[in-house]
Amino acid sequence: MLTKITRSIARIIPTETVSAHCDGPCGVYDPASARIAGEAVLSMTKKMLALDPGAHDHATQNTYSRFIAIKEEQAQLAKDELLILWTDYFKPVHLEKYPDLHTTFWNAAKLCSATKVNVSLEDAEALMDAIQKIHTIFWETKGREVDYYTAA
Amino acid sequence: MENVSRIPHDLSNTGWPEFILWLLNRRIRFTVKGSSMFPILKPGDQVLIDPSAFRRRSPNVGEIVVALHPGGEALKIIKRVAKVHPDGQLDLQGENLFETTDYRAVEPGKILGKVTSIFSAHED
Repeated sequence: MLTKITRSIARIIPTETVSAHCDGPCGVYDPASARIAGEAVLSMTKKMLALDPGAHDHATQNTYSRFIAIKEEQAQLAKDELLILWTDYFKPVHLEKYPDLHTTFWNAAKLCSATKVNVSLEDAEALMDAIQKIHTIFWETKGREVDYYTAA
Repeated sequence: MENVSRIPHDLSNTGWPEFILWLLNRRIRFTVKGSSMFPILKPGDQVLIDPSAFRRRSPNVGEIVVALHPGGEALKIIKRVAKVHPDGQLDLQGENLFETTDYRAVEPGKILGKVTSIFSAHED
């Protein structure tokens, strides 16, 4: 009898809502942020390698410096984005399904640093591979199929 | 953080004593939105909270509470107390660990009350 009463009240008299929400509005997570930064690192690395290291004119030096600055900034951004995903989004329960999760993020963060220290196409491409792997894991945990793509 | 999913839940349907307390304005009714408290609470379920539950004591680990959102107080959230820090601050966590966002170190003053019962389960 009480169930019927409460059900009728629930239907008729509106209430305030309480949020049992998942990711909003505290954090909207998406590995795409890291992917875009990683792509910029790869692009800058390629452009630097394409420049003539023997050219010492002002214009080339200026271009080279800008490429370095952007690569440095974007590598740090990629690292920040990855660390946010790692520490804020992923939870202990995800480790059960993805036991190499910590290693994957640790390696990806290390690659961000490596792309700053070096002008290495290999490192930049390895970073993109790591980000793609994280993309796959991330969307699997969400139960969604999201195609990986790159802007370049 | 303590794994709250191992804590057995004791959230029962609203009985007559709770119903009378609600009629006397001693309980507040809320509708749950979102699924971070699944399977205990589904979206659309209505719950009662006791706003005076923590006037004389601190929340305990395992209790389900309604709190003001730490980032934006216009929003009220429903979560389980996962940890009580020595300084009284609370870590809140959803039930559905795949669908939840943790709230770390929420001030006790942000807790609006303890969820006491399920007033009405959402009809599918």
